Amino acid sequence: MATQTLDALGLKCPQPILKVATMAPQLNPGDILEVIADCESFPKDIKAWAERTGKTLLFCNTDAEGKHSAQIQF
Amino acid sequence: MAKVAITVNGSENLNVFPPFILGSSAVSLGDELVIFFCPGGAPAMVKGVIEKMEGKGLPNLLELFEGVRNLGGKIYVCELALEAKDLKKEDIRDGVEIIGATTFMDEVKDATVTFSF
Repeated sequence: MATQTLDALGLKCPQPILKVATMAPQLNPGDILEVIADCESFPKDIKAWAERTGKTLLFCNTDAEGKHSAQIQF
Repeated sequence: MAKVAITVNGSENLNVFPPFILGSSAVSLGDELVIFFCPGGAPAMVKGVIEKMEGKGLPNLLELFEGVRNLGGKIYVCELALEAKDLKKEDIRDGVEIIGATTFMDEVKDATVTFSF
Protein backbone atom coordinates (compact mmCIF):
# COMPACT_ATOMS: atom_id res chain seq x y z
CA MET A 1 0.00 0.00 0.00
CA ALA A 2 1.37 3.35 -1.05
CA THR A 3 0.32 6.86 -0.17
CA GLN A 4 0.47 9.57 -2.80
CA THR A 5 -0.13 13.26 -2.33
CA LEU A 6 -1.79 15.69 -4.70
CA ASP A 7 -1.42 19.40 -4.11
CA ALA A 8 -4.38 21.10 -5.80
CA LEU A 9 -4.13 24.39 -3.92
CA GLY A 10 -5.09 27.36 -6.05
CA LEU A 11 -6.82 25.29 -8.70
CA LYS A 12 -10.41 26.16 -9.57
CA CYS A 13 -13.27 23.70 -9.83
CA PRO A 14 -13.24 21.18 -11.49
CA GLN A 15 -9.45 20.98 -11.89
CA PRO A 16 -8.75 19.31 -8.51
CA ILE A 17 -11.18 16.48 -9.30
CA LEU A 18 -9.86 16.24 -12.85
CA LYS A 19 -6.36 15.80 -11.42
CA VAL A 20 -7.62 13.12 -9.02
CA ALA A 21 -9.31 11.29 -11.91
CA THR A 22 -6.20 11.58 -14.05
CA MET A 23 -3.99 10.17 -11.26
CA ALA A 24 -6.43 7.38 -10.39
CA PRO A 25 -5.13 4.79 -12.88
CA GLN A 26 -1.68 4.97 -11.24
CA LEU A 27 -3.05 3.84 -7.86
CA ASN A 28 -3.66 0.26 -6.85
CA PRO A 29 -6.44 -1.09 -4.65
CA GLY A 30 -5.64 -0.23 -1.03
CA ASP A 31 -3.46 2.76 -1.93
CA ILE A 32 -4.28 6.11 -0.38
CA LEU A 33 -4.40 9.42 -2.21
CA GLU A 34 -4.09 12.49 -0.06
CA VAL A 35 -5.40 15.68 -1.66
CA ILE A 36 -5.17 19.25 -0.48
CA ALA A 37 -7.34 21.82 -2.21
CA ASP A 38 -8.89 25.19 -1.50
CA CYS A 39 -11.64 25.49 -4.06
CA GLU A 40 -15.00 26.00 -2.39
CA SER A 41 -16.81 23.00 -3.84
CA PHE A 42 -14.06 20.44 -3.20
CA PRO A 43 -15.61 18.61 -0.18
CA LYS A 44 -18.87 17.88 -2.00
CA ASP A 45 -17.14 17.17 -5.29
CA ILE A 46 -14.65 14.66 -3.88
CA LYS A 47 -17.49 12.90 -2.02
CA ALA A 48 -19.46 12.59 -5.27
CA TRP A 49 -16.38 11.40 -7.14
CA ALA A 50 -15.58 8.72 -4.55
CA GLU A 51 -19.17 7.48 -4.51
CA ARG A 52 -19.42 7.30 -8.30
CA THR A 53 -16.07 5.58 -8.79
CA GLY A 54 -16.36 3.15 -5.89
CA LYS A 55 -13.51 4.56 -3.82
CA THR A 56 -13.59 5.17 -0.06
CA LEU A 57 -13.40 8.76 1.13
CA LEU A 58 -11.70 8.30 4.50
CA PHE A 59 -12.13 11.93 5.48
CA CYS A 60 -12.28 15.46 4.17
CA ASN A 61 -11.43 18.14 6.72
CA THR A 62 -11.45 21.90 6.32
CA ASP A 63 -9.21 24.17 8.35
CA ALA A 64 -9.95 27.71 9.52
CA GLU A 65 -8.48 29.18 6.33
CA GLY A 66 -10.71 27.12 4.05
CA LYS A 67 -8.03 24.62 3.08
CA HIS A 68 -9.43 21.12 2.57
CA SER A 69 -7.48 17.92 3.22
CA ALA A 70 -8.94 14.65 2.04
CA GLN A 71 -7.82 11.05 1.94
CA ILE A 72 -9.26 8.58 -0.52
CA GLN A 73 -8.58 4.88 -0.31
CA PHE A 74 -8.48 3.07 -3.63
CA MET B 1 -22.83 5.91 -16.21
CA ALA B 2 -24.13 8.83 -18.20
CA LYS B 3 -23.44 9.67 -21.82
CA VAL B 4 -23.07 13.41 -22.16
CA ALA B 5 -23.45 15.26 -25.47
CA ILE B 6 -22.59 18.96 -25.66
CA THR B 7 -22.86 21.27 -28.67
CA VAL B 8 -21.01 24.59 -28.85
CA ASN B 9 -22.02 27.31 -31.29
CA GLY B 10 -20.00 30.31 -30.17
CA SER B 11 -16.32 30.90 -29.56
CA GLU B 12 -16.41 33.38 -26.67
CA ASN B 13 -15.60 32.53 -23.04
CA LEU B 14 -19.33 32.15 -22.36
CA ASN B 15 -19.54 29.39 -24.95
CA VAL B 16 -16.23 27.61 -24.52
CA PHE B 17 -15.61 27.41 -20.76
CA PRO B 18 -18.87 25.64 -19.80
CA PRO B 19 -18.47 22.62 -22.11
CA PHE B 20 -14.96 21.99 -20.80
CA ILE B 21 -15.86 22.60 -17.13
CA LEU B 22 -18.89 20.32 -17.29
CA GLY B 23 -17.25 17.93 -19.71
CA SER B 24 -14.10 17.44 -17.65
CA SER B 25 -16.28 16.86 -14.59
CA ALA B 26 -18.23 14.22 -16.51
CA VAL B 27 -15.17 12.29 -17.69
CA SER B 28 -13.71 12.53 -14.18
CA LEU B 29 -16.78 10.67 -12.94
CA GLY B 30 -16.36 8.05 -15.65
CA ASP B 31 -19.10 9.31 -17.94
CA GLU B 32 -18.87 9.17 -21.71
CA LEU B 33 -18.51 12.60 -23.31
CA VAL B 34 -18.91 13.98 -26.80
CA ILE B 35 -18.41 17.70 -27.51
CA PHE B 36 -19.42 18.95 -30.96
CA PHE B 37 -18.29 22.38 -32.17
CA CYS B 38 -20.75 23.82 -34.71
CA PRO B 39 -19.31 26.42 -37.13
CA GLY B 40 -19.96 29.24 -34.65
CA GLY B 41 -17.83 27.50 -32.03
CA ALA B 42 -15.17 26.08 -34.33
CA PRO B 43 -12.77 29.06 -34.18
CA ALA B 44 -12.11 28.11 -30.52
CA MET B 45 -10.66 24.79 -31.70
CA VAL B 46 -8.09 26.45 -33.95
CA LYS B 47 -4.54 25.73 -32.74
CA GLY B 48 -3.35 28.16 -30.09
CA VAL B 49 -6.73 29.76 -29.33
CA ILE B 50 -7.71 28.21 -25.99
CA GLU B 51 -4.21 28.92 -24.71
CA LYS B 52 -5.15 32.61 -24.87
CA MET B 53 -8.63 32.30 -23.36
CA GLU B 54 -8.87 33.11 -19.68
CA GLY B 55 -11.42 34.55 -17.30
CA LYS B 56 -11.40 35.89 -13.76
CA GLY B 57 -11.89 33.03 -11.30
CA LEU B 58 -12.05 30.43 -14.07
CA PRO B 59 -9.92 27.28 -14.34
CA ASN B 60 -7.16 26.82 -16.91
CA LEU B 61 -8.93 25.98 -20.17
CA LEU B 62 -6.00 24.14 -21.76
CA GLU B 63 -5.70 21.85 -18.75
CA LEU B 64 -9.43 21.08 -18.94
CA PHE B 65 -9.11 20.35 -22.68
CA GLU B 66 -6.19 17.99 -22.07
CA GLY B 67 -7.97 16.36 -19.15
CA VAL B 68 -11.02 15.68 -21.30
CA ARG B 69 -8.81 14.12 -23.98
CA ASN B 70 -6.77 12.06 -21.50
CA LEU B 71 -9.91 10.64 -19.91
CA GLY B 72 -11.42 9.57 -23.21
CA GLY B 73 -13.75 12.46 -24.04
CA LYS B 74 -14.32 13.02 -27.75
CA ILE B 75 -14.11 16.47 -29.29
CA TYR B 76 -15.41 17.13 -32.77
CA VAL B 77 -15.61 20.09 -35.14
CA CYS B 78 -18.39 20.16 -37.73
CA GLU B 79 -17.00 19.82 -41.24
CA LEU B 80 -19.21 22.71 -42.37
CA ALA B 81 -17.02 24.98 -40.24
CA LEU B 82 -14.09 24.61 -42.63
CA GLU B 83 -15.68 26.57 -45.47
CA ALA B 84 -17.97 28.64 -43.24
CA LYS B 85 -15.07 29.96 -41.16
CA ASP B 86 -12.31 29.79 -43.79
CA LEU B 87 -10.41 27.13 -41.87
CA LYS B 88 -8.11 24.42 -43.12
CA LYS B 89 -8.07 20.95 -41.60
CA GLU B 90 -4.55 21.53 -40.35
CA ASP B 91 -5.71 24.68 -38.50
CA ILE B 92 -7.75 22.54 -36.09
CA ARG B 93 -5.89 21.52 -32.95
CA ASP B 94 -4.59 18.00 -32.38
CA GLY B 95 -6.98 15.70 -30.58
CA VAL B 96 -10.00 17.20 -32.33
CA GLU B 97 -11.66 15.32 -35.18
CA ILE B 98 -13.62 16.84 -38.06
CA ILE B 99 -16.88 15.00 -38.65
CA GLY B 100 -20.29 15.51 -40.24
CA ALA B 101 -23.58 16.13 -38.47
CA THR B 102 -24.93 12.69 -39.34
CA THR B 103 -22.00 10.94 -37.69
CA PHE B 104 -22.43 13.11 -34.60
CA MET B 105 -26.16 12.46 -34.38
CA ASP B 106 -25.58 8.74 -34.79
CA GLU B 107 -22.98 8.79 -32.05
CA VAL B 108 -25.18 10.64 -29.55
CA LYS B 109 -28.43 8.79 -30.23
CA ASP B 110 -28.23 7.25 -26.76
CA ALA B 111 -26.98 10.33 -24.90
CA THR B 112 -28.58 10.71 -21.49
CA VAL B 113 -27.43 14.26 -20.72
CA THR B 114 -27.31 17.05 -23.30
CA PHE B 115 -26.27 20.70 -23.22
CA SER B 116 -25.74 23.41 -25.79
CA PHE B 117 -23.68 26.54 -25.37
